[in-house]
Amino acid sequence: MRRGLMGWDEAELPKSVLEARLKLLQDAMAHLGLEALILYTNLVRPAAVCWLTGFTPYWIESLLLVPARGRPMLATALSKRVADWIKTTAWLDEIVNTPRPGTAIGERIARLWRVGVLELDAMPAGLYDDIVAAAPKVQLLDDPGMFWLVRGSVDDAERRLIEKADALAAAALAQVDASATDAGTLAGLVEKHARLAGAEEAYIATAPDLDLDRRLIQVSGLVPLARRFAVRASIAYKGAWVRRTRSFARDPQGARAIASADAWLTELASSINARDPLAGQIGWKGPVLLRAAEVHSRGWMAESCKGSYPLEVVESSRSPSREGPPGTYLVLSVDLTVDDVPWLGAAPVFVRAST
Amino acid sequence: MIDDDRKQRLLAAMAEAGIDMLLVYGNAWQGDYLRYATDFSALEGQALALVRSDGHVTLYLDSPLEVDRAEIDCPDLEIVYAQNLIAEVDGALDRFRNQRIGSAPGRLIPRRLAARAKDLNLSDHTAFLDRLLMHKLDSEIAAMRRAAKLADDGYAVFREAARVGRADYELIAEIEAFFRANGVDHNFQIIGVGGPEVRGMAPPSGKKLKRGDMVTTELTPRVDGYYAQICRTLVVGESNAEQRKAHALWLESMEAGIAVVRDGVTAADIARAENDVFRAHGLGEYTTSEYTRVRGHGLGLFVDTKPHILEDVTTRIDAGMTLIVHPNTYHPVVGYMVLGDSLVVTKDGCEVVTATPRELFSVPV
Repeated sequence: MRRGLMGWDEAELPKSVLEARLKLLQDAMAHLGLEALILYTNLVRPAAVCWLTGFTPYWIESLLLVPARGRPMLATALSKRVADWIKTTAWLDEIVNTPRPGTAIGERIARLWRVGVLELDAMPAGLYDDIVAAAPKVQLLDDPGMFWLVRGSVDDAERRLIEKADALAAAALAQVDASATDAGTLAGLVEKHARLAGAEEAYIATAPDLDLDRRLIQVSGLVPLARRFAVRASIAYKGAWVRRTRSFARDPQGARAIASADAWLTELASSINARDPLAGQIGWKGPVLLRAAEVHSRGWMAESCKGSYPLEVVESSRSPSREGPPGTYLVLSVDLTVDDVPWLGAAPVFVRAST
Repeated sequence: MIDDDRKQRLLAAMAEAGIDMLLVYGNAWQGDYLRYATDFSALEGQALALVRSDGHVTLYLDSPLEVDRAEIDCPDLEIVYAQNLIAEVDGALDRFRNQRIGSAPGRLIPRRLAARAKDLNLSDHTAFLDRLLMHKLDSEIAAMRRAAKLADDGYAVFREAARVGRADYELIAEIEAFFRANGVDHNFQIIGVGGPEVRGMAPPSGKKLKRGDMVTTELTPRVDGYYAQICRTLVVGESNAEQRKAHALWLESMEAGIAVVRDGVTAADIARAENDVFRAHGLGEYTTSEYTRVRGHGLGLFVDTKPHILEDVTTRIDAGMTLIVHPNTYHPVVGYMVLGDSLVVTKDGCEVVTATPRELFSVPV
């Protein structure tokens, strides 16, 4: 569940921005002849509803109904005692608190013909059955590309929120000392720092011994840290998500290699352009910017927000695209070996326009 | 090992129910069915698992980050990274068409899979798993006891952190750091800060503590998959007479509820005992859904598992269930107040596993 700071600050996310996003979506819906669009949200899949309203459920699930014209309606299984709280976290005019959000939405669309559902296949069966029972004649359909087309470019408000989330992640990871010996305590320290600074959510993962295993796991309790380890901070601030991963080493050879790779990632992250294939940009810049004797790339992954997930894989070294990067915001995670030193890094990337 | 105990029990129950395979869904919100079947708790993305009657388990995950974690945490499972999770599992189910497949929790199974129920001989077995989730094995109860101990310790950290001028989210930050260092990988926690204007608890909103505020919290650490909960109220500075009077009523209500708990009663019996105390004090309306959600609930692999303690829930309470009894609700003079202890149901009564005193705490100004 979410248990960090949650709240809507109009200075950060102005109504005019939310109105502009709604208009973009409603224009796209009109283009497809949709009379309404249903968006699902829970704490794992909050991104689409959050983008339109600012709302993230800390618990249970909700549906947002976006009409062809006018403001959206939220039907939520959260009790009406928290309706006022919901309004402090989002711009929502109409909130229906009900144990059956699907029924509430179904009743609202019963007289329509064509209604879109983002990620229809993934809709929980209970909600779907309730919608269909209340609106048996409505055709429910999903156009996976529509939402992504509208949402693929981050606006200035979202960019500022991402930058804030990234600042929290970077500051939290700056607490890590390479001499740390216990992964659980370290994870707590990083998480605490992020939450004290206002993070809505903080998932901290650790690879306690990079030389042995590069996989990052959630650690709690006493787990010894080896001389080389890595920490990933996945941080949310007001619905904007970033990941940052940093590697650490106690030995001079490891520290040198890591510093070199960190500098490379910083440079790379600021230079990704929209025109060239991502694989080429990562591969081409590696040897030039990384002045190490030997560099092996073990893989990379780019995540972005396409629909209801805050971050999901959109491209990777396993399935590279021949086109430029998808969207204008990515989280890039890279796995390298630099002069025999294992290194993991991740950073947010704002893709530069290809002018 | 809890996982081995659960797996043996699950396979035996599947055989008894005549199920060849179980399809289980889980995410970070509702992960208990998945955890029971796989010992994996999803954090990001969604997960589906296929449990065969021979004990082979395939866990499908749509996040590569989760795949890394599952491979390490659950080495006995077959882990599949499925970027298109539902299509992948849909295809996998095709290979088991001639088998009897149960699914749980039915309401959360993705629509595309649920729509093939007839075609795949897929039937909702949520109640089947609910029974296993509610009635705990000894090893499960032992894990819950460990969580209860950390809930007590966590509340001590919370009290220490609660000081004038600190924001609500800062208190939670302190607790989370303590929990990560002490083997708690997840915690469900909501909070309320203020006076009569506070009608419930929610995630932190940035409110800063000031003298006279009541600070309510429901703190629920997870240890080895199992949650235990503690509900307590503290006052910033000295409590006033109205607050103490209200707390005495909450205490009487909680103790009345706990006194009823034993093998063979119903959830309604417990709720009625709690609510009768409020009614006797002329506050019966504050036991309704206008002001409160439940008067307690089950605990286990889910924070808010069945049974819900309500006057209209007739679920039988059995020895081996784990519950929290909490008469949390609104008080018209002092605001929302909470008090709750976790317990294990026994043949003749219950064992309360929360050790924190049942006080209205005060923290110095």
